[in-house]
Amino acid sequence: MTAIIELRGLTKRYGDLTAVEDLDLTIEAGGVFGFIGPNGAGKTTTMRMMTTLLRPTSGEARIAGHSVIDDPQAVRRVIGYMPDFFGVYEDMKVWEYLDFFAACYDIPAATRPGMIDDLLSLVDLGHKREAYVETLSRGMKQRLCLARTLTHDPGVLILDEPASGLDPRARIEMRELLRELQQMGKTIFFSSHILSEVADICTSIGVIENGRLVASGNVAEMMSRLRAHRLITVRFMPGDAFDLTEAEVWLRDQPDVLSVTAAGDTPLPDTVQLDFGGDDAGMSALLARMVGRGLPVVSFSEERGDLEDVFMLVTHGLADENHPAT
Amino acid sequence: MAEITTLNPTTPGRKRLASLFNNPMAMKELRSRMRGRRAFALLSLYLLALGGVITLVYLTYTTSVGMPGSTAGYTAGKGLFAAVLSVQVVLVTFVGPILTAGAISGERDRQTFDLLRTTLLSADSLVLGKLVSALSYIFLLVLVSIPLQSIAFLVGGLSLVELALSQLLILVTAVTYAIYGLWCSATMRSTLAATVATLAGTLFITFGLPILAFMGAFVLGTTWGMSGSTNPILEIIMIYAGLVAAAVNLPATLIVSEVFLLDRNTLFFTSQYVGGQNVVLFSPWLLFIILHVLVAVFFYRRTVRRVRRINDV
Repeated sequence: MTAIIELRGLTKRYGDLTAVEDLDLTIEAGGVFGFIGPNGAGKTTTMRMMTTLLRPTSGEARIAGHSVIDDPQAVRRVIGYMPDFFGVYEDMKVWEYLDFFAACYDIPAATRPGMIDDLLSLVDLGHKREAYVETLSRGMKQRLCLARTLTHDPGVLILDEPASGLDPRARIEMRELLRELQQMGKTIFFSSHILSEVADICTSIGVIENGRLVASGNVAEMMSRLRAHRLITVRFMPGDAFDLTEAEVWLRDQPDVLSVTAAGDTPLPDTVQLDFGGDDAGMSALLARMVGRGLPVVSFSEERGDLEDVFMLVTHGLADENHPAT
Repeated sequence: MAEITTLNPTTPGRKRLASLFNNPMAMKELRSRMRGRRAFALLSLYLLALGGVITLVYLTYTTSVGMPGSTAGYTAGKGLFAAVLSVQVVLVTFVGPILTAGAISGERDRQTFDLLRTTLLSADSLVLGKLVSALSYIFLLVLVSIPLQSIAFLVGGLSLVELALSQLLILVTAVTYAIYGLWCSATMRSTLAATVATLAGTLFITFGLPILAFMGAFVLGTTWGMSGSTNPILEIIMIYAGLVAAAVNLPATLIVSEVFLLDRNTLFFTSQYVGGQNVVLFSPWLLFIILHVLVAVFFYRRTVRRVRRINDV
């Protein structure tokens, strides 16, 4: 795999305020990169520098080998950009809107009608071809804007909060669309502050906080790296012969079991959660010992951590760094 | 999906002309502006209003002076010509620049400017497209008023040279002021600020400068009158300064050039004795065109540079 997006020491300062600081990032072709961080963390500033709209104070950004400073026109040729807040020409028809942007990318007039039909069918707006843009819903406008980014068939899509302001159905449609684009071989760099959105479709993520990239890498790797412990939920079969308190005492003495607590916010009878520090083999051995001891185990499952945990871990770590306990 | 291709290589001149007619921005703007009943209704209203003004001027002259065909016809023809020309002056001095004042800032307000700046559309094409679309509409209004203006030919009092010269000056002014509006639009953050700056500039040139020039002339005349002596050199300088001042202002240029044409029977130069010296005087329209073309080129280049700039903030 070759790197298609390379950021080296990318920095943007506004006087005393540092919006983005010394950002290093490499994204391989064909990947889906989720850029996550709270509002004001520096996501949009980074994307504006990558799309030639903003001049970096220092550092370098290269897209498909082209520098955003030295060769912005070559960068524009290979990227499709969708900003977080964007306008549309309300008094144009849907096909005219795409035709205009295709013309802006020097697409010959003869090839435009076919290309427009293809794009409209991709974003499921074929039936709105002759409609005025002003009559489209927010979700449709978002999809139209995505179609606009594809008029020149770019290899890299840079999407700033592509699902912001959409209802749940439109969000799902947008996610499906991004999946389809990934299958078409596009590299997608998109930002979001909604983690569930990112977790489902990203191959890698970067977490930005206060302008600094605090973590980046493969989603699964990051989760296993940042989560030191595993959370195991065990449910027992209730009955007169079974004593939960006795089982808890026994479990606390087992290797790699760090703590035993009642499960969930509203503790269920006969269910416990184990904070486990071991690996897969350790988990398997523990289950075998429980069964060997005659504990009536009904279920034994590891709670799957999500990006939200990773994000909280990473950003809490940073908060601790910035505000050390006194 | 379509691949990126470039336009066929042609000679630079042809390519530029082709790009003017194929400019995506110009096509988009014209399509939006001329769509539906609005453009038709505006044009009809404009012609109705202009027709009303012409009828009023014609009736005023013919009822107060006499029937056309005599010298009254000559006066009525001049009146009609002046009335239509005044409307054209208002169009190119105020309406045209207002149209362009919102052209680029409007893209910012609408949040479409960033979308455009990440396409391959060059700053030059964007500015040219905006200019062509705004001017096309203004020129359409000017063009449809020419048949009404030509009524003056029927009643007399208008020569072909007067008509051609006036339309040339209108054309140059339209282009220059529209480019000035575009520059304001590219420089200011909002359409409102751009419109205010554009109007302030055109109002100053049209009304402010003549007032200042009259005040200056009055002060100098009073000073000379009190001293009781005249300096021929100073007098010549004042005449030239007056001509230059006239060449900055469209109404003044139209009036003074008309005076040259009617009184001196010349389109370009004449001479006059001042303080015993024969001084060559030039009709201000020549200088007007040179000055305005230079100003237009200056503001056009500044506008393109402003649009091209990658933001530092």
